[in-house]
Amino acid sequence: MADAAATAGAGGSGTRSGSKQSTNPADNYHLARRRTLQVVVSSLLTEAGFESAEKASVETLTEMLQSYISEIGRSAKSYCEHTARTQPTLSDIVVTLVEMGFNVDTLPAYAKRSQRMVITAPPVTNQPVTPKALTAGQNRPHPPHIPSHFPEFPDPHTYIKTPTYREPVSDYQVLREKAASQRRDVERALTRFMAKTGETQSLFKDDVSTFPLIAARPFTIPYLTALLPSELEMQQMEETDSSEQDEQTDTENLALHISMEDSGAEKENTSVLQQNPSLSGSRNGEENIIDNPYLRPVKKPKIRRKKHGILLCCPGWS
Amino acid sequence: MPLTGVEPARMNRKKGDKGFESPRPYKLTHQVVCINNINFQRKSVVGFVELTIFPTVANLNRIKLNSKQCRIYRVRINDLEAAFIYNDPTLEVCHSESKQRNLNYFSNAYAAAVSAVDPDAGNGELCIKVPSELWKHVDELKVLKIHINFSLDQPKGGLHFVVPSVEGSMAERGAHVFSCGYQNSTRFWFPCVDSYSELCTWKLEFTVDAAMVAVSNGDLVETVYTHDMRKKTFHYMLTIPTAASNISLAIGPFEILVDPYMHEVTHFCLPQLLPLLKHTTSYLHEVFEFYEEILTCRYPYSCFKTVFIDEAYVEVAAYASMSIFRSDEWVLKGISGYIYGLWMKKTFGVNEYRHWIKEELDKIVAYELKTGGVLLHPIFGGGKEKDNPASHLHFSIKHPHTLSWEYYSMFQCKAHLVMRLIENRISMEFMLQVFNKLLSLASTASSQKFQSHMWSQMLVSTSGFLKSISNVSGKDIQPLIKQWVDQSGVVKFYGSFAFNRKRNVLELEIKQDYTSPGTQKYVGPLKVTVQELDGSFNHTLQIEENSLKHDIPCHSKSRRNKKKKIPLMNGEEVDMDLSAMDADSPLLWIRIDPDMSVLRKVEFEQADFMWQYQLRYERDVVAQQESILALEKFPTPASRLALTDILEQEQCFYRVRMSACFCLAKIANSMVSTWTGPPAMKSLFTRMFCCKSCPNIVKTNNFMSFQSYFLQKTMPVAMALLRDVHNLCPKEVLTFILDLIKYNDNRKNKFSDNYYRAEMIDALANSVTPAVSVNNEVRTLDNLNPDVRLILEEITRFLNMEKLLPSYRHTITVSCLRAIRVLQKNGHVPSDPALFKSYAEYGHFVDIRIAALEAVVDYTKVDRSYEELQWLLNMIQNDPVPYVRHKILNMLTKNPPFTKNMESPLCNEALVDQLWKLMNSGTSHDWRLRCGAVDLYFTLFGLSRPSCLPLPELGLVLNLKEKKAVLNPTIIPESVAGNQEAANNPSSHPQLVGFQNPFSSSQDEEEIDMDTVHDSQAFISHHLNMLERPSTPGLSKYRPASSRSALIPQHSAGCDSTPTTKPQWSLELARKGTGKEQAPLEMSMHPAASAPLSVFTKESTASKHSDHHHHHHHEHKKKKKKHKHKHKHKHKHDSKEKDKEPFTFSSPASGRSIRSPSLSD
Repeated sequence: MADAAATAGAGGSGTRSGSKQSTNPADNYHLARRRTLQVVVSSLLTEAGFESAEKASVETLTEMLQSYISEIGRSAKSYCEHTARTQPTLSDIVVTLVEMGFNVDTLPAYAKRSQRMVITAPPVTNQPVTPKALTAGQNRPHPPHIPSHFPEFPDPHTYIKTPTYREPVSDYQVLREKAASQRRDVERALTRFMAKTGETQSLFKDDVSTFPLIAARPFTIPYLTALLPSELEMQQMEETDSSEQDEQTDTENLALHISMEDSGAEKENTSVLQQNPSLSGSRNGEENIIDNPYLRPVKKPKIRRKKHGILLCCPGWS
Repeated sequence: MPLTGVEPARMNRKKGDKGFESPRPYKLTHQVVCINNINFQRKSVVGFVELTIFPTVANLNRIKLNSKQCRIYRVRINDLEAAFIYNDPTLEVCHSESKQRNLNYFSNAYAAAVSAVDPDAGNGELCIKVPSELWKHVDELKVLKIHINFSLDQPKGGLHFVVPSVEGSMAERGAHVFSCGYQNSTRFWFPCVDSYSELCTWKLEFTVDAAMVAVSNGDLVETVYTHDMRKKTFHYMLTIPTAASNISLAIGPFEILVDPYMHEVTHFCLPQLLPLLKHTTSYLHEVFEFYEEILTCRYPYSCFKTVFIDEAYVEVAAYASMSIFRSDEWVLKGISGYIYGLWMKKTFGVNEYRHWIKEELDKIVAYELKTGGVLLHPIFGGGKEKDNPASHLHFSIKHPHTLSWEYYSMFQCKAHLVMRLIENRISMEFMLQVFNKLLSLASTASSQKFQSHMWSQMLVSTSGFLKSISNVSGKDIQPLIKQWVDQSGVVKFYGSFAFNRKRNVLELEIKQDYTSPGTQKYVGPLKVTVQELDGSFNHTLQIEENSLKHDIPCHSKSRRNKKKKIPLMNGEEVDMDLSAMDADSPLLWIRIDPDMSVLRKVEFEQADFMWQYQLRYERDVVAQQESILALEKFPTPASRLALTDILEQEQCFYRVRMSACFCLAKIANSMVSTWTGPPAMKSLFTRMFCCKSCPNIVKTNNFMSFQSYFLQKTMPVAMALLRDVHNLCPKEVLTFILDLIKYNDNRKNKFSDNYYRAEMIDALANSVTPAVSVNNEVRTLDNLNPDVRLILEEITRFLNMEKLLPSYRHTITVSCLRAIRVLQKNGHVPSDPALFKSYAEYGHFVDIRIAALEAVVDYTKVDRSYEELQWLLNMIQNDPVPYVRHKILNMLTKNPPFTKNMESPLCNEALVDQLWKLMNSGTSHDWRLRCGAVDLYFTLFGLSRPSCLPLPELGLVLNLKEKKAVLNPTIIPESVAGNQEAANNPSSHPQLVGFQNPFSSSQDEEEIDMDTVHDSQAFISHHLNMLERPSTPGLSKYRPASSRSALIPQHSAGCDSTPTTKPQWSLELARKGTGKEQAPLEMSMHPAASAPLSVFTKESTASKHSDHHHHHHHEHKKKKKKHKHKHKHKHKHDSKEKDKEPFTFSSPASGRSIRSPSLSD
């Protein structure tokens, strides 16, 4: 299974490039791929203890395997595009598998199983040929790190570009513009969705949809959301996210900030020292030294004196 | 008229060595408070108190304590059952079903009621009779232990329960309870001597759920589990003598944070808020160090606790933080405000401090000019109405509980300003020495064993404070005190000048207005600073009675010849462009009283260029602020330039720059026809905060520099106030603000931008101008102005985003709500309170609620909505949060639906009745709320009878000035004339069981309240009735509790000032010196009644207005056989003629409100 999955990547990309090619070589290509899959199925069957199989059943299994792998590829591609990337990452595959109901955790163990059979790389003989009509110039050969069974580089003319120079200035402007309107759109869509799915209030009696306000809902403990707003959490998350990118732009600020913190810390230290030298010791040491009545353990009840007798009988009054 | 300065003439009091003399015939030394059951579900408390007192008079036979709301089960003195009576006249201030509805009348009655239970006048709601078995014991002045069992059920004031209605145990729900209140309000939650002047040591015990923490005053000695291990008891000891009013309590599932720098300091907060607590308290130790250093005195208590709770009554409440008490409140408030100022100066710098002082000064000046004066140290010598130092006010200033909240905050403001004046006079060093001396005296005293005269040194009085000042500094500050403390009002200067070129003299004219309300005349030195070409010179003028003109010689020869630098006050030398100057005069600018050493308002006239120079070059922030204010009147390009320069100057104080923004907006609007260039501040903002390459896009937020942050925040708000020739906000400005919002990017900022965004919404709201309305068309979406549509888009999005990602303290929701109200008010959006009402509900964060309520209040005013007014009034009475109730009243007063001289459909009899009830009886659990209701009533109806009421035709109209009584013949006696009689006749005797009402001391009962006597028949029948009054005491003992006639007094002895001799169980309080003569008050006890008292009747419906049984009681004159031989007899009508106006008889002391549910035996 693991091996099959590994080849799926190649198969998937093959589908794309294959589909572009003219009928004949493409057919060849498909045949080759199918043959490989048949080998895979057969070896898996062997592994499972079968000695022979009917052609029809092997075909069916191959068909199933192929569609399973295709589905992984298709789905992984969707996930990757969803996050605005062009190349699927491992996590896309993982999410796909999970989504398809596959227990990913079993995969590594399966891949390392002892009795597994290794299949040789599919023959590279009948690679799809680029249609002549579109050929222009010589395709670049694969560099050494790319296996030869990978598809060829596109035609040289596809690399031809006509550079258009935009002002870097306006580039920034566009970026800001884009970021702003994107955020605004997301916010608007989100709030509208919330408004549509929940109760709303309106400023105009005759119209409830143009400016829908999400209805005010009282909280049981209103200070929690007010004093610990989720906005802050978001911001902190974003901060950690974007910290690397910010480093260049905000170096000055950062430096300033750090120096401020330093001086603050120093100040604190000195003040502690002035106040009570013994305290500074406890600061880096154990908390136990702190003798605060609220941290002391609660005592067990003891036999009360006479005076407290009154106290005890008092609840009876209520 | 009640007196605070009651001199207990005949009380055989042990006098302290000096200073404070207790008004009580005993001294409290120790009190135990034990609360052993707190039920959050039922919001109830059960416990007991034990007071250890030493009698100071031999014949002490009753002990008065303060207690409100508490249900008292049992009182024992030295283990003997003691009879007690519970009477709280403040529950219902005016008893008569008078249609008078006159605030004057009410305020007098209320003041009387408060003083009738004022511990500082020796009074209290709870009066305990010392059992006869102990009389001998008392005569030997031996110790008494008073043990009182009490409970509290659903307290409406004093203790506040917060119980969120979610699943889980009380601890999981974050339920908590805490003490709160206005001034001395401890009596609301346990019986005590609720005075700042009665200090004692304390033992406090609280048994609470094991998951909860009880935080109170003093040292936590131990925490012990109860036997079932489900609860624990917190034991506190407070060995430093402390007043009951400073005792506090907070119980809840608090998270505990021991201050990492000072382990004796502990902070508490509600669950989940610990990170916030850590941040909030992280600088507290520095504050502490500052205080200890400046006072060179260690914090007197061995521990310090801060508790952060929800639904707080006020923002900060200090309890027993300082062992100093005020007998003169202004000293205490002044000192704490003053030290706060010092701390501020140290932490935030001199500019911030001076700016704050200026702000506070402006505030007090505005308030005093509006209302007619704030008096720090009232002396009620005369007692005559015309001598009343606060006759301009609609409330009494004799008691903290009758003070309007606004007055009280202004009082505090003035107090610290006066402290600063004293500092100016004697230097800060001496000032701190004085504080140190007071504190060390107090701490020495506190360490002494009980000796009443020693403990009294822990109290600060005006005289003690002054004495200390003169000892330390050797300076006499009496004139200063006389001017600012013993007298109300501020000084109003008008200044103008002319330069006499020939004599090279500045002719300064300084006039004063001391006839307007709230002003006073100032005589004394006044500093004037003159900036000339050759430098800055200080002159001290002597302001005298009749001299207006002052000649000040100038130092500079007028012509500025060469390019020379001009020396400033601080020694700095600057280049100035002098082309704007008057060629003949060397004067750059003039300042009057630059150090603010007089509480004053200065209106000074100088040329616009002088103000501009002052703004640009004077280094004092106050001077800059003043010149900005003055420049509003000079809309010229030169002013514009000066303001713009200030805006750009990084070194300039940020608050000055902020106010320059608003001034610039105003100037631009005045100059609208001649204005050239882009809208004011736009290019400046662009240069400072927008990207270099694309000027329409603001830089990503970076609030590291607070100065520029504040400017960035303020400029758009000010810009939005710009108007074009059509009086509309320029389109360019609106687009600009919308762009700021659009491109706002806070991702890389270290700080939250919630305040910034909120201000952007405020800016949008500021840009709104009234809609052009054709024929009052209904506002619909179709005819919506396109600009407004854009604004609404933003507001909608912001408000909705708040639901998903709320901002800190919901600042954005608050701004959105305000903006929506602005749109409504300007006719762009249909006016509708529904949205605000939903945000005003309980369960929203308090800031949101207040903002929403403010909008509803405004709606009520603009749309004259009776329904909303009722809704608000209902909330005032029923909202769970005291602060919100207070705020609604406050906002209604500030933005009233109508005022006394205004016709309004809202102003009707039902409303008068409703508000009257609210202040008369509906707010008895919260002093502050009641004072707020009085304020509102005053704003709506004024001092006299509301005009919307039908003319008081039914009644006896008595004009005392002309000594004529006009009896309206159409009077119809009320159905229960027999009872009505009692209600209207002040001479009736309401007392029961021979136990004379102890609260009558404040009453001037011998005098008939002519305002209330509108039922002449009742009046007459009363007199008849008096003749047949049974003189047998003790009769009522056998009366059924429900019987109304139980209120008929048992003994008529002494009525009509016939003195009756009484046995020793009597005590007399004589008062002196109220101009209005009063019959000496006396409390008497019939011999027959000195047997154990059994029936204190109480009517369950006592406070209902339908009840016409109002009894004014009569004071009896009695003689104490033993101690008194003589008393002054005053006839009840003696003094009547002296008064110029109808008597406003106060009836609070009526016995009707006896509330003791039970009794002894």
